[in-house]
Amino acid sequence: MIRFDYKRPDSIEECLALLDMYREKARLFAGGTDLMVEFRAEDKKLKDVELVLDISKLTELKIIKLDQGSISIGSGATFSQIIENPVLEKYAPFFIEACKTVGSPQIRNTGTVGGNIGTASPASDSVPPLVAMDSKLVLASSKGTRNILLSDFIEGAGRTLIQPDEVIKSIQFKKLKPEAGFSFVKLGRRKTLAIARMNVAVYVESDKDGVVTDVRIVPGSATPVSKRIFEAENMLLGKIPSYDLHEAIGKKVSEKMIGITGKRWSTPYKEPVIASLVKRALNEATGVKENE
Amino acid sequence: MPLMGTKNYRHLNKRLNRVDSADKITGRALYAADVKVPGMIFGGSLRCKYAYAIIVEIDTSKAKAIPGVYAVLTAKDVPKTQSWADYPYLSDGTVRFVGETVAIVAAETTDLVEDALKAIEVEYEELDGVYTIEGALEKNAVQIREKGVGLKDGLPDKDKKGNIFYDSYYPIRKGDIEKGFSEADFILEREYKTPFVEHSYIEREACVVMKDPDAGIVTAYASAQNPFFTRRYLADAIQAPFNKCRVVQKMLGGSFGGKEELVGLMVGRAALLVMATDRPVKMVATREESFMESAKRHPFNFKYKAGLTKDGKIIAWEGTQIANAGAYNNQTQYLNCRAAIHSAGVYNIPNIKTDTYGVFTNNIHSGAMRGYSSPQIIFAQEQFLNEIAKEMGIDEIDLRRKNILKQGDLTATSQKLTAETITLEMIDHMVNTTEYYRKKEEYSNTHKSKEKRKGIALVSCYRGSGYGAETPDAGGSLVTAIEDGTILINTGLAENGQGLKTAYTQIAAEGIGCTTDIINFVGVDTHSIPDSGMTVASRGTVMGAQSMRKASIDLGTLLRETAAMLLKTDPDKVDIDNNEFYIIGSDGKNKVSLADVCNTRLWTGKAMAVYNWSEPGDLGIDHHTGQGDAFPTYSYGVVVAEVEVDMETGFVDVLKVSSGHDVGTCVNPDTVEGQIYGGIAMGQGFGVTEEVPVNKGQLESKNFDSYIFPTSIDVPEMEAVIFECDDSAGTYGAKSLGEPATEAVGAAIAAAVANATGVPVRELPCNLERTLLGKSLSKGGMIK
Repeated sequence: MIRFDYKRPDSIEECLALLDMYREKARLFAGGTDLMVEFRAEDKKLKDVELVLDISKLTELKIIKLDQGSISIGSGATFSQIIENPVLEKYAPFFIEACKTVGSPQIRNTGTVGGNIGTASPASDSVPPLVAMDSKLVLASSKGTRNILLSDFIEGAGRTLIQPDEVIKSIQFKKLKPEAGFSFVKLGRRKTLAIARMNVAVYVESDKDGVVTDVRIVPGSATPVSKRIFEAENMLLGKIPSYDLHEAIGKKVSEKMIGITGKRWSTPYKEPVIASLVKRALNEATGVKENE
Repeated sequence: MPLMGTKNYRHLNKRLNRVDSADKITGRALYAADVKVPGMIFGGSLRCKYAYAIIVEIDTSKAKAIPGVYAVLTAKDVPKTQSWADYPYLSDGTVRFVGETVAIVAAETTDLVEDALKAIEVEYEELDGVYTIEGALEKNAVQIREKGVGLKDGLPDKDKKGNIFYDSYYPIRKGDIEKGFSEADFILEREYKTPFVEHSYIEREACVVMKDPDAGIVTAYASAQNPFFTRRYLADAIQAPFNKCRVVQKMLGGSFGGKEELVGLMVGRAALLVMATDRPVKMVATREESFMESAKRHPFNFKYKAGLTKDGKIIAWEGTQIANAGAYNNQTQYLNCRAAIHSAGVYNIPNIKTDTYGVFTNNIHSGAMRGYSSPQIIFAQEQFLNEIAKEMGIDEIDLRRKNILKQGDLTATSQKLTAETITLEMIDHMVNTTEYYRKKEEYSNTHKSKEKRKGIALVSCYRGSGYGAETPDAGGSLVTAIEDGTILINTGLAENGQGLKTAYTQIAAEGIGCTTDIINFVGVDTHSIPDSGMTVASRGTVMGAQSMRKASIDLGTLLRETAAMLLKTDPDKVDIDNNEFYIIGSDGKNKVSLADVCNTRLWTGKAMAVYNWSEPGDLGIDHHTGQGDAFPTYSYGVVVAEVEVDMETGFVDVLKVSSGHDVGTCVNPDTVEGQIYGGIAMGQGFGVTEEVPVNKGQLESKNFDSYIFPTSIDVPEMEAVIFECDDSAGTYGAKSLGEPATEAVGAAIAAAVANATGVPVRELPCNLERTLLGKSLSKGGMIK
């Protein structure tokens, strides 16, 4: 296990000052559910780390609020806290569904959404719905704050654009229409305490005639970075949802996935399965039933 | 119907809370890793990361120079490198599996242990090894163990060189196989495979070893499943007499057969460090170490060929069962005895020819894991039976009814089943209560769905109870009365989480006549009682407790004699109720308490204890033909599984498992149900998710993030069905259950998956990829 010093700053300012001082030699501890595993496994990327800054007790990072149509989630909000939040339940239900599937109760009690984003695992459960909502991040450093789109922030598997002196302060997105269709579908190797083999977040808004006016489709664990698949979304835009259309859209997502990743050892499995999961998520979000 | 509850006992056949559950639930229970003694330091192992390599040089000087590091030992520093049981304490210069220990260290703290291990420099020369059963049997395969033998005419031959573990070869020859096949109307041949599986007990292996003049030389506190086996390692490692080496078993957090080899080796290594440092040494395996060096369930390759008459009677059965034994092994030669005896299933077949053997490979050793070959064998045989039924167009239940062993039939070893055998009743009961045919019809309506399909299957099996012909099934128990009227019971068999303390308490209460709450079970201390063999083979209650039954009956007789003397009557006129002796028919006026009886005995100099030794029955099979009486009796099982298979993802959702077991006499319905429920969960893991993927000897799962077993959310609806019958072989008529509870579950689930998908399952587990694609995928593009 890599050994390190430990500090628990009392405020964001203190944290940012320490971070500015230690930079690459410091690592933030939000919930520790990934970080401690990596320390124990002596992950190469942690080899120069000397200091762990525990931000898990910073209550100012745990605030979830609705402000003029925009929702802000403090990066230190735990998954358990998110699951029980009435604002999110109303305006971002698929995000709550995703957070409910994270790990186990113990992991959800300590793991945070900011940590999940910062870890940038392609198998993240919280990231696909957040990307689907075009979320942006507020990053803070001792020099000030900056905003960045979540889908731009995550650069690759385990890689983000965070600077060594920065903290993810909050995640922000516009509230969605409660009457719209949402779905989060996750496939794991078991029903709980499972890393996503694949997942997908879907959001579908329709007009009174049932014509789709807005759609977001974001698969997880399919590509190194979860992104909206615009080509697939466009297939549904302006159309009436149907089983066959959803099946075709699923295949499009699958095709795009292979376009990005190329054929890999896991492709024979992932190719048909992501198509099915997308189809199912769209069916669920729009109330379309299985074709018998 | 022979369901539970018709037997007339005072304390058996009754629900009783486990005697150790309060300690476990409240956290009072002390496990080996909880032991702390003054002056204690810590030990650790440096493990090789190659599957097969020669150690060119080891430099320990930097490690030794670290302040707080007290010992760094390699092969040259110890009396012997190889344990009595083949596995190495320390590598002899060639490492033969990933994780083999090349050096051990002792230091003041666990951090210093880690520093020291990192400071040891080892130069290896990597070798090409053999990694799979197929690879081990290839014509020009590297021979990795000197004692390995080769094949001649397709069978293991002592005079050939190769990778076969000759001691693990068991043939079965019954009837005339050629005649059998020549008379058959239908012949089918199939192959099946199972993977390495990890026990996944929550408590990792741990020990504290210390010098102990009171004990002689050393005492070890250990998470030992078989404390007497552990003592053998302890005495062996430091070359000390057994009577000066003491092993005390601490509360075990699960074992399932696994806390044997690695615990023994760890105790041996810790003892070497104790001798080198003169300090008590604690060693606790990390989860990764537990994965790397604890035994795994044997992977098996099966090839079966059956010949049947056109009305579905199996008249010929041929089979090859090959186990992957790993690099070092002291288990496969026993396991394969059982595997051979059961190599033709629970079926009455006149002509049988099977060959069972193990091969050495550069892998972690295989060993005992709940079932001792039966989960693998039953998986293969029962899939095969369903394939036969499908190919012949006959009903799979009818096929079993036609062929299943009944009272008076001969087993594969030609043992005549003389005791009551309720196989047909069990099948009927399970078919009826699960509504098998109605559900099969209902589920078949889903078999055109592109998304989710349901399936159902029934499997039947049997298991020889106890050691049988494998090894002598003997054991001893000491039952002691104390002056205050309480009782101590002590035996060489161990509580491993299976409920042995509770069962023995009930058995002792039944024999003495006293209540269970005044009995205390002494944990195993090898200085306090003779070796009673291992707590394995589901033998604890059925055979191991025979001596407890006899000793407690004898003690009850002694106590009754004293009670009669005090009551001024004859012993046969005295009985006991609620710990008071009374004269039968005296309206309970003339009574004397158990405490007064015990006190009287103490002060009149009468025996306060009875020790009984139970000798094994006359069992044995001929080594060339496998024919003979193999077991004192057999436990029968019928399991029905219902699943839903996601045809688009390969996800297998186990909906319900109904598990019926003939337990002879049900000692405690609570613990029997507990075994069955736990067995279902473990069988589900074997059937659906569990596999330690091994790639050229490298374990690709070493922790529970990637090794997936079912959680409480995943387990199905469970129905435990307890059958009893009259069979005098086991203690109070009891039969084995610990292993039967899990051995058929994976098979039933796989068969239900095959029913749902229409595709036979020939390899476990039924994980996402294999269920969807028919093959497993692994990193690096290697398709297994």
